[in-house]
Amino acid sequence: MLAAIRPAGQDFPVLLHIVGATIVFGSLLASAGSLALARGQVRILRIGYFSLLFVALPGWILMRLSGEWIYRKQQWDDVPEQLRDPTWLRIGFGVADWGGLLFLVGLLVGGIAIRRLRHGEGSGLLKVTMGITIVLAIGYVVAVWAMTGKPNYGTTASAQAAAPTASATAVSVSASEFKFVLSTTSVPAGETVFTVVNRGKVAHNFWIDGNATPLIAPGKSATLRVTLDAGRLMYMCTVPGHAAAGMKGSLTVR
Amino acid sequence: MSFQDWLFSFHLLFAATLVGGLVMSWIVIVALFSTNAVAETLGFVRVARIANVAILLGLPGTIALGIWLAILRPEFHPWDGWIIAAIVLWAIATAAVLRSFVEYRKPAAKARELAAAGRLGASDVLATLNRTRTGLIFRAVGSVAIVLIVIDMIYKPGA
Repeated sequence: MLAAIRPAGQDFPVLLHIVGATIVFGSLLASAGSLALARGQVRILRIGYFSLLFVALPGWILMRLSGEWIYRKQQWDDVPEQLRDPTWLRIGFGVADWGGLLFLVGLLVGGIAIRRLRHGEGSGLLKVTMGITIVLAIGYVVAVWAMTGKPNYGTTASAQAAAPTASATAVSVSASEFKFVLSTTSVPAGETVFTVVNRGKVAHNFWIDGNATPLIAPGKSATLRVTLDAGRLMYMCTVPGHAAAGMKGSLTVR
Repeated sequence: MSFQDWLFSFHLLFAATLVGGLVMSWIVIVALFSTNAVAETLGFVRVARIANVAILLGLPGTIALGIWLAILRPEFHPWDGWIIAAIVLWAIATAAVLRSFVEYRKPAAKARELAAAGRLGASDVLATLNRTRTGLIFRAVGSVAIVLIVIDMIYKPGA
């Protein structure tokens, strides 16, 4: 499972998150499979339910807590409003939280059904639980796709390849793990062209005042032309976790 | 999403399918351990098919897209130590899991044979086959190798 090189300190919560998510996914499959294929055999129906209770539930708790841990480590609360909680992150939290609620409903209904099995009833309620586990398993596939592919993120079209003009201020930016070095910390208000060179080993981008370069591969560069008003503007790399690791700062516009 | 984003996404979807299939197979293995009835064994064999399909999809899908990504992405190379380690672990996992499939086919075949003879109740022979130590050891080796791949992929030693 190739994945981006992460800032130190984020690997362990990511490991816990992935372990938790795959435990949930596997036990949802086991539960749905057992409930669907039991053909009335009580022991297999019980295995279907107890997979949810004793495997999926602890997995969900592990996944959710470590997800929160990653969120805090990556300091999502500190990023500018426009960048906070992008679509892929909302899908992830949505599946975990709304799915968690649905999961509890499935557990409750399944629990009642398992008690009724003693009296030869409850198979109808277990079908409800089975339906919920199938919906959740599909939801987790969507979440894995969203969390890994990060649709509509990191390839923002606001970057413009442009050479500095006579009236524009040129700022060169060097990006690496995990810092930016700018040729100046102060620019006059007006048109500014940032030339960002990625001197690191992983992809980065440069975001300032609502504009961003596309993701820049190692060894490559990109330019970003923006018109800046006077003030103190935050810049950062929007790759998750990179700003929290140090790829952020502020530029004074006079 | 770029082509590489899609590749990466499918690489991880295959990985999730593989690990999810392994988790599911362990639930079935634990359930089989305390089963000696023919009908129940056949039921668990049906459930295990889903896990087997997930594992058989996940194993080649993960490695194929992983190597493709290692070739495409400028920051990684197929000859990086951590990628070679993952390929070696993948080979060990594949060999061990496929060998465990052979062992767990034996109780399935025995249960079908007993069912065909009209014996759907308990069977000592079936109980012994369901508790196969060889199958258990090979599945454990395969699972440990997969867990080590996950750790290797996240920490990327040397990258």
